[in-house]
Amino acid sequence: MKMLLTLAWRNLWRKKRRTFITVSSVLFAVVLAIVLMSMVNGMKQQMVDSIISNTTGHIQVQDVLYHDEPTMDHAMEYSEEVRQAVSRYGEHIDYSVPRIEGFCLASKEVSSRGVYLMGILPEKEDRMNNLSDRLREGKMFGPDDQFAVIGRGVATQLNLALGDTIVLLGQGFQGMMAAGKYPVGGILEFPLPEQNNTLVYLPLKEAQHFFAAPNRLNSLILMLYDQRMAEELSEKIRNELDQEWYTTRTWLELMPDKVAAFEARDAQVRIFAWVLYVVAGFGIFGTVITMMHERLREFGILLSIGLKRAQLAGICLLETIFISFIGVMAGVAVGFPIVYRFYLHPIHLPDELGEAMIDYGLEPMMTFSIASDIFIYQGLTIFFIALVVGLYPVRKVFRLDVISAARK
Amino acid sequence: MKTVIKTTNLSKVYTNTAVPVHALKNVDLSFQQGEFTAIVGPSGSGKTTFLNVIGGLDKPTEGHVIIDGTDIATMKESKLFDFRLRHIGFVFQAYNLIPVLTAMENVSFIMLLQKQPKKEMEQRAREMLEQVGLSDKLHARPSQLSGGQQQRVAVARALASKPDFVLADEPTANLDTESAFNLLDIMSRLNKEENITLIFSTHDQRVIDRARRVITLVDGAVDKDEQFDRN
Repeated sequence: MKMLLTLAWRNLWRKKRRTFITVSSVLFAVVLAIVLMSMVNGMKQQMVDSIISNTTGHIQVQDVLYHDEPTMDHAMEYSEEVRQAVSRYGEHIDYSVPRIEGFCLASKEVSSRGVYLMGILPEKEDRMNNLSDRLREGKMFGPDDQFAVIGRGVATQLNLALGDTIVLLGQGFQGMMAAGKYPVGGILEFPLPEQNNTLVYLPLKEAQHFFAAPNRLNSLILMLYDQRMAEELSEKIRNELDQEWYTTRTWLELMPDKVAAFEARDAQVRIFAWVLYVVAGFGIFGTVITMMHERLREFGILLSIGLKRAQLAGICLLETIFISFIGVMAGVAVGFPIVYRFYLHPIHLPDELGEAMIDYGLEPMMTFSIASDIFIYQGLTIFFIALVVGLYPVRKVFRLDVISAARK
Repeated sequence: MKTVIKTTNLSKVYTNTAVPVHALKNVDLSFQQGEFTAIVGPSGSGKTTFLNVIGGLDKPTEGHVIIDGTDIATMKESKLFDFRLRHIGFVFQAYNLIPVLTAMENVSFIMLLQKQPKKEMEQRAREMLEQVGLSDKLHARPSQLSGGQQQRVAVARALASKPDFVLADEPTANLDTESAFNLLDIMSRLNKEENITLIFSTHDQRVIDRARRVITLVDGAVDKDEQFDRN
């Protein structure tokens, strides 16, 4: 074995240019794959983070019927049972965000329009999605205040300014009439018109009072330290609750359309990645074929003097392993600083592209991921492809006609 | 004297050509231990085919090749690899050596494949390189040696494992006169000292003049088989 290793290793450096070309093929394939997947995963993570922080959170505790019929009648009681179930897994939960929300009719004098009223704890929302950063006029309420903060679109369409009164009418808990009037204390601006034109915020306690649902929530959002724990933790917390009344849902269950869109996008990326792998594979294959033809006579002589085919095949395979390993490690070494640079300094997208992202509620920048599994998976994939290509000389050795090879 | 190789009714027909080529026709020959034989003849006379067949690199279409009591014509390829390793030494025309190994490592290579003890192997390799006059080139790679020196290393490698016989396919074809004479002196001496059977295929008159037996092949058949006293 030592002899095979020695021969394989020394053969690598015998024709440095050939080895350099093959290693370079592997290196470029790894770098391209890492940069591509880092960009794709970074963008995906950016979207996921946006969805999680702006809408669903990682997990929501809800009334068991709320998801299928999201009405105020299915607001859950924020009971001791819920508090305890959540606090039992407190080491995995960064913070929780209680919300009560529902559609209402908002009006000022003779103008009215449908709005979406959210009862919130502002400091919790700020942790989750920096809501206060979107404040353009006035101030954000505290938990015990009694004024509303509204979207710019709502203000424009109802001709509301700071200090004006907004009248809200809606359906309260168990058929109660929900009605109230609140001074406008602040105006927010959102990137999405849908949010701008519909959102009205009240302090949680005031909104519960408005909906005649004291101590009730539509959802208790849980923000985790580790997003990957969502499904496991959701199940654990659900098992702690009386499932006749309560359930838990992860962001994946709450946003099935987004998940389907991600899966479709992932499939496209996989096709692109495989095109890259195939191109890389042929690049490596080309140098391997050249190497084989250059060394046919040498192989013939080695087999003539007594080296067994399996031993010669072993040398070829070891050479491929060495080349692939060096190429992959070099590719990771080159690829990491590139993606790390863009991880620290994301690419700011030009106007049109940027606006499209803003429309989706995203920052107009291309972010990169430095998750270790990108490097491991891409490195191993290219390594495996190089190994498969490396089987060509092995197959050739087993089929080699010793005499004609030795005469080449 | 012990018979090292015996061929009977040895024929080889190449059928993968437009017209079948009869490369060997009913060749009956015996080689005794310690012989220095040159196989001569014009191009296409079957010299290399004969060496390939008795070296177990190629299968005859008909006939037998008996070496050490074993008919290698019927032997399976996997056994032939092992048989060649243990019984036959080869010296080719060029590119004989493994380019990435030093002279010492090249000479040791076959003994390594034979799994000989390291100490004995190194001692024998050193001794053989001394015998071919390359004691100062033990650690040189083939690219650092002249063509003649490379062939001397190839001879040392072929003889180091003490095979039953050595087959040399035109070993002097690429050498200048001085290197060729030098190589032939060494091979003649080793033939006598180690009593190793040497069989050359050659066009080279310098080799023919040293051989004690000259077999002439014409169109795949033995035309002449002559013995000479070279003492």
